[in-house]
Amino acid sequence: MHINQEHSRVEVVQLPSPTAWPLVLSLGIALLCTGLVTNLFIGILGLMLSICGCVGWFFQVFPHESHIDVPVQVGDVQVLSSRTLQDRLPVSEMHRKFLPIETFHIGTGIKGGIAGGLAMTLPAAIFSLIKYHSIWYATNLLAAGGFVSWANASDAFLSEFHMRGLLAAAAIHGLTSLLVGLLYGAMLPMYPRSPIVTAGLVAPLLFTGILHSALGIVSPILNDRIDWFWFIISQIAFGLVCGFVVNLSAKVRTAQFRALPFAVRAGIHISSDAGPQEPTEISTTDQKNEKRDRPE
Amino acid sequence: MATQSPVNAILDETTSSSTHPSALQILHDWLTTADHKKIGLMYIGYALLFLVVGGFQAILMRIQLAIPNNHFVSPQAFNQLFTMHGTTMVFFVGMPVLFGFGNYLIPLMIGARDMAFPRLNAFSFWIAAFGGFLLYFSYLGAPGLSGAGSAPDVGWWAYAPLTARAFSPGHSTDYWTLAILISGIGSIGTAINIVATILCMRCPGMKLSRMPLLVWIYLVMAMMVFVTISPLTAAQIMLLLDRYLGSHFFDTQAGGSAVLWMHFFWVFGHPEVYVLILPTFAFANEIIPVFSRKAVFGYPAMVAATVAIGFISLSVWAHHMFTVGMGPGANTFFVLATMTISVPTGIKIFNWLATIWGGKIHFTSSMKFAIGFLFQFLVAGLTGIMLGSAPFDWQLSNSYFVVAHFHYVLVGAILFMLFSAFYYWYPKMTGRMLSEKLGTWHFWLFVIGFHLTFDLMHIPGILGMPRRIYTYEADRGWMMWNLLISCGAVIQTVATLIFVYNLIWSYFKGPVAGADPWDAWTLEWSTTSPPPSYNFAVIPGVSSRRPLWDLKHPEDPDSNYE
Repeated sequence: MHINQEHSRVEVVQLPSPTAWPLVLSLGIALLCTGLVTNLFIGILGLMLSICGCVGWFFQVFPHESHIDVPVQVGDVQVLSSRTLQDRLPVSEMHRKFLPIETFHIGTGIKGGIAGGLAMTLPAAIFSLIKYHSIWYATNLLAAGGFVSWANASDAFLSEFHMRGLLAAAAIHGLTSLLVGLLYGAMLPMYPRSPIVTAGLVAPLLFTGILHSALGIVSPILNDRIDWFWFIISQIAFGLVCGFVVNLSAKVRTAQFRALPFAVRAGIHISSDAGPQEPTEISTTDQKNEKRDRPE
Repeated sequence: MATQSPVNAILDETTSSSTHPSALQILHDWLTTADHKKIGLMYIGYALLFLVVGGFQAILMRIQLAIPNNHFVSPQAFNQLFTMHGTTMVFFVGMPVLFGFGNYLIPLMIGARDMAFPRLNAFSFWIAAFGGFLLYFSYLGAPGLSGAGSAPDVGWWAYAPLTARAFSPGHSTDYWTLAILISGIGSIGTAINIVATILCMRCPGMKLSRMPLLVWIYLVMAMMVFVTISPLTAAQIMLLLDRYLGSHFFDTQAGGSAVLWMHFFWVFGHPEVYVLILPTFAFANEIIPVFSRKAVFGYPAMVAATVAIGFISLSVWAHHMFTVGMGPGANTFFVLATMTISVPTGIKIFNWLATIWGGKIHFTSSMKFAIGFLFQFLVAGLTGIMLGSAPFDWQLSNSYFVVAHFHYVLVGAILFMLFSAFYYWYPKMTGRMLSEKLGTWHFWLFVIGFHLTFDLMHIPGILGMPRRIYTYEADRGWMMWNLLISCGAVIQTVATLIFVYNLIWSYFKGPVAGADPWDAWTLEWSTTSPPPSYNFAVIPGVSSRRPLWDLKHPEDPDSNYE
């Protein structure tokens, strides 16, 4: 910063005047409290100081707030940057990042989560019927993670209908399905090749692997009694249906698209953002947007 | 190719005074000041003083625990040490130092001349300071369980019924209660000031969407102070009523509830962690972009994440109480709420990484500590998620694993980022640069000491070592871990002494900083170092989130893109 002395002038700035009354008041309150545990006279001293502090402070700000005038010199200041710019070696367009210009709407993930969550209940119900002759077993098992008193529940108990079990399971399953659905909506555009394989096989297996390692901590009772074969089937059911619903939806344009030049948006000119195989000149708008993400 | 972009803009020019005031004048000046910068510096100096005291208490505890069957201090003194260490570090180090930085920086960053209520600001500082002194006066004046001159010994939670007069006779607990009570008045006063200043005193052009992220975060933090300090104050008053006026709020034998105290305390206690850590997020938001030479990534997401943390943090308190037996419904709710808070926190971590990504990183001491903060905060968050799961917490509650977790947050994240902030803003506050060489020594020694202490501290916790234990038998298998942990604490102490030496040496001998030594972008760097009492001779106007970038680069101002 460089100051130009030739154009300086003197002005006055008003600032609050220094005062000891806040210090006096705070000391008074502190001594008042100290008096409660030490000596009455310290409390009385604290009370007197508090009253003095209040009165003194009052007259500091009424009828007019006390202030001091500080003369200042005002002048032109040159604000300088010490940054340096470096010429960079040209790199291949292939090494540039390509941000998506289209993605799924957030509602798509929610729809996918709901559909997948419903689909998942089918294998779970079949598992319950085959193994325990009741469709409620899987529901109650899921709910048992939230009820400490159900930790040692018998299979017969878990096979019965329990309204609180149904509500708890619905809440847990519904919330998890929504969150995973949102994840699908956000991540599927990142893996455009073979979306059904990604959504229906890879993601369910990955999720199952993560849950397998963590379920002992999250829900020990579920970990003890879960049937991993049927769990994987229900996960695949979720993934296939959720992935299908998500992929069926139309994509919306991202902020990256709005940053493209009008000619590109209108379809007259092809943008470099379209992909690495179609390099084109970077427009002025592109350069401006790059600046936000690139270092000096 | 070097560029310089001189811009003529009326910002500031300080008049220099050649007179040398006497020591008495200087003392009078500081005692009566209403200047936000001086009050900020007093907050910081006061906090550093108590940091040394609290650190000394920690070292005494680590010596006691270094080997089994040790009697370096008495059991009574050990109880007092952990009570005073926890209380000091939270109420008289963490809060004051963050309020100090806020006091100093907020008006400068928003282009104001002072806080909205300068006298209330002075009052808030002094009453908080007297709170700390009152607490430590208990070492001299409190007749407690172990006779005259005993300090509080009920832990920083002060759980009922331990605080009842039957179990805590004398006044040692009362000193704790009153000290916290009156320092809380100061916290509320400063929070009022911060909110009023930010909402009412921003310079022309500084819309909410253009405020520096530091200011945004302090706004949320101040709002949280209102909500969190109030229940603590209420609980302290109820405790005093229980002890002296015959009420039974926490007396279980007379129909009261000890769990009620726990709820009151943790409704304050857990959001308090966020009150402490949010300002360090604020520092990271200013420091990481400057030393990455890029604008912060995802400004709106950062603001939204901050507000989300502010709200969600108010609904997680009972994850400290999983072992109380609250029932499955409450346990499930607090597990889910605790997990949820990791989402906005994760957003912040990703945004900081994205800011660093591809940047031209300057590895100054400040940036080194900021990067240490990023890594260690992530680890602290991961153990937080582990403890936030009720079944896991049932196994490790009240163990050294918990102690390791929250020290990872308080030291690994908060203290690291505080050190970063010191290296970054010390030149602005004093006009001198801190020594980078000493800073590098400080950083590496502290990193080594920190990880030796707090990484290893998880292990005795998993092996069953309970927190607050006075000593232990040799056959427990904890000795080697505790010895290494204590060695780490000594290394951290050496590193901290280097830092203190650096602060003092640089004040007299450090290179002159100039107004803008980091080539930064926020308004505090547009005025001289240290700033004049009026901050800005002419109130500046801004048209983007990086006003100094705009002035330095008029050919390509940020306002074109925001």
